[in-house]
Amino acid sequence: MRYVDEFRDAELGRVVSAEIAATVDAGRHYKIMEVCGGHTHSIYKYGVDDLLPPNVELVHGPGCPVCVIPMGRVDDGIAVARNPEVIFTCFGDMLRVPGAHGTLLDAKAEGADVRMVYSPLDALRIARENPDRVVVFFAIGFETTAPSTALTLRRAKAEGTANFLCLCNHVTIVPPLRALLESPDLQLDGFIGPGHVATVVGARPFEFIPHDYGKPIVVSGFEPLDLLQSVQMIMRQLAEGRCEVENQYARVVPYEGNTAALRALSEVFELRPHFEWRGLGFISQSALRLSAAYREFDAEVRYAVPNVRVADPKACQCGEVLKGVIKPWECKVFGSACTPEHAIGTCMVSPEGACAAYYTYGRFAREREVV
Amino acid sequence: MSAGSDFRDVPACVDEHCITCSDEGLPLRIVALEGDGLARCLADGSPCEPGETVDVQLVGDVAPGDLVLVHAGVALALLEVADA
Repeated sequence: MRYVDEFRDAELGRVVSAEIAATVDAGRHYKIMEVCGGHTHSIYKYGVDDLLPPNVELVHGPGCPVCVIPMGRVDDGIAVARNPEVIFTCFGDMLRVPGAHGTLLDAKAEGADVRMVYSPLDALRIARENPDRVVVFFAIGFETTAPSTALTLRRAKAEGTANFLCLCNHVTIVPPLRALLESPDLQLDGFIGPGHVATVVGARPFEFIPHDYGKPIVVSGFEPLDLLQSVQMIMRQLAEGRCEVENQYARVVPYEGNTAALRALSEVFELRPHFEWRGLGFISQSALRLSAAYREFDAEVRYAVPNVRVADPKACQCGEVLKGVIKPWECKVFGSACTPEHAIGTCMVSPEGACAAYYTYGRFAREREVV
Repeated sequence: MSAGSDFRDVPACVDEHCITCSDEGLPLRIVALEGDGLARCLADGSPCEPGETVDVQLVGDVAPGDLVLVHAGVALALLEVADA
């Protein structure tokens, strides 16, 4: 496939890998965080970390939107889904994320009308087809996904589809990055920036990382060569004593982002004063809710939601995994009590979650290492 | 697969990627414009005819043959303009 195959060339990968090895300082340990869950998935799937020198460590970040949803929000979704007139729609991974009393899938088994959709447009279509029901879309995702919800709400408003509501859990990427950079738990040397979030917001919002914290960040694509080249660009910055925002993914990401998407976001959403992130706690102005102009579509206005904070199960260490403090296999329940089939924590549910990605691909490489 | 049908009915076109994450930025070719800011799109070489409906309002004027980057039913970037 065009724009995919050429970025999986193994020979070129080996060349870039050798360049990285030649650039790094052998006496130094480097910690590079890949912010996005999509990057985590690609790194494990293609074994990108195996092509890096042993002193270059990739640390997984908080950029999996399913993983960062706290249990209380799942319970809010289930409470709405249990209303008999409601058809509750969401992306597939969200169905299996446990709340305090089970998952949306459990609620479906108990009679709630819960349906998986591939886009909010699908949910809007269900609303048109079922005018006597109320269709609620459980919106999750970073700035990459929020435009899709925004455009769908614009359509619903324009066509007067009053039985379409949104339970909004969209989050923004900059506040959790700032929270991580302020955290004493983690000392990072640089960041692999989220390529598709940057397609929407541009590379400019990441300038605070070099400016305020003196760390390089390279906005990266998702193919293995993209990731290798991004590591190489970070290593070059470090070797040359530079720190700046660089755009490895220029074939897709304009530095200023997609202005039409940003306009749609600012029209449909406004910032919440605070939002709870799994593992990171409450972060100010880190999530979106519907703006006053779209209040009639807000499920939280129409339905009472419990809005109760629920602590993660004691055994679950998703919080530490999301902050990059521990690796997936260092969690006490990884691969035993917690597997993709029976997940305790969110990081094992979504394929983008570090635990699921590692469980699916990475553990085999580790088994080889151990043997 | 129709929208909202049984969640176990996963179509062959769907990779193991998570749709909510940025990984799901797929290069899709515009097959036909459907009006109202929508277009029917299909991955090059995909057997999943007739493709899926994508909102193309965010990428300006597009035409059949153009390649767009699609995430959650929305084209976020224009990757390639079709030869005239």
